[in-house]
Amino acid sequence: MIQTVKKLNNPVRNNFEGYEITTIEGTKISVPLDEANKDYQAIQEWVEDGNTIQEAD
Amino acid sequence: MALSKIDVANMLTGLVPNDNTIRRPNAKPIIINGDMAIAQRGTSATGKTSSGYYTCDRIQFVANDAGTHTVIQETSTSGNAYINGFAEAYRIDCTTADASVAADSALFIKYKVEGRDAQVFKKGTSNAEKFTLAFWVKSNKTGTGQVNLRDEVNTRQCSATYTISSANTWEHKICNFAADTTGALPSTNAEGFGIEWYLAAGSNYTSGTAPTAWEAISNADSAASLNLAISGSTDNDFSLTGVQLEVGEYSSTTLPPFQFESFEDSLTRCHRYFLYTGGGSAYQHHGSGVEVSSTAAYMTTPLSCPFRASPSITANNTSGGIVIYDGNTESAVTSVGTTNYSPNTSLVNVAVNASGGGIDDGNGITVYSNANSNAGFLFDAEL
Repeated sequence: MIQTVKKLNNPVRNNFEGYEITTIEGTKISVPLDEANKDYQAIQEWVEDGNTIQEAD
Repeated sequence: MALSKIDVANMLTGLVPNDNTIRRPNAKPIIINGDMAIAQRGTSATGKTSSGYYTCDRIQFVANDAGTHTVIQETSTSGNAYINGFAEAYRIDCTTADASVAADSALFIKYKVEGRDAQVFKKGTSNAEKFTLAFWVKSNKTGTGQVNLRDEVNTRQCSATYTISSANTWEHKICNFAADTTGALPSTNAEGFGIEWYLAAGSNYTSGTAPTAWEAISNADSAASLNLAISGSTDNDFSLTGVQLEVGEYSSTTLPPFQFESFEDSLTRCHRYFLYTGGGSAYQHHGSGVEVSSTAAYMTTPLSCPFRASPSITANNTSGGIVIYDGNTESAVTSVGTTNYSPNTSLVNVAVNASGGGIDDGNGITVYSNANSNAGFLFDAEL
């Protein structure tokens, strides 16, 4: 279950390249920008439910 | 090998004959880890109330407000499944009961067949094949179980029922499903169709009729014949193994033998969907790479099998459990950054972060567990 989602930037080029999910249990998951990834799909549904993705640090 | 059959009629029409012994010689089993031998995520997961992949690879626990359960890779040393070669099983134990499951709640086990592996059924064509699903099952509950084939792409489903006749006894079940000439499955890395063993369900899933022919998905039909209610008591458990999916219609006398794969072959096929780099030695190696800043490094991990899709990554036990070593300093990995993976390749590149610093830009590094055999990275490319 997703609690928050934050954008992740590439550490070299500093461009947006993924997301970090924090689950309600506190687990952090790095998620790639791949439409075939089930966590990426879950983020899209989470956003459709009205939630907002945080910007990268 | 002698040629046993020449189908002249179909040679003329271009159709492949519906004879499985001809069509799939030496093919690997459609179901991966059907003998439940591979459990990269561990052998027991307690307190499960929500869906996820726990213990046995490729097997999804699906739960929505239907009690609390422990998921186990069960090992056996006796019983009918064991003497037929199945020493492991996927088991669900109810630990907190929900004796009156809400209308929209359900509990079931699901296996998802990747689209590319589903093409052999020729679903959605005039030459569509029937399905035969066989499995071993054991439960303290006797009664009727329902198992569904579910095609989410074309929103279609088909069901079969089976009976658990004796409590706490391994029984072999064979379920036949109709062919479906409607709704082609994607020949991609997406889900082709799913197999669902319902274990408990509320009235939204039980108020219809189990469909023995393919139909438009109606949730009311999904568990219409079910009377097991595994989540109804902490006495309840349900075990599954020897899952076998065949092309065509078979009975107990004609079913081909279960195709046991070597542990190595099965593990490699599982790696397409999930890889855990830990669980080995206390100083398990996870990858090598280069430092790219004072707080981050790129780690490259070799793969035994290309991932189905670019994986999600979790670092298990980051608080000192995994370190970046550059030849001078060990820096604890504190989080995982972005991932670079190209389809069908055998390397994955991951940014690993050490927020406390201590690393230098440009040095070569290796990443390993720090006296912790449970530490590692979980690469998840499951459906």
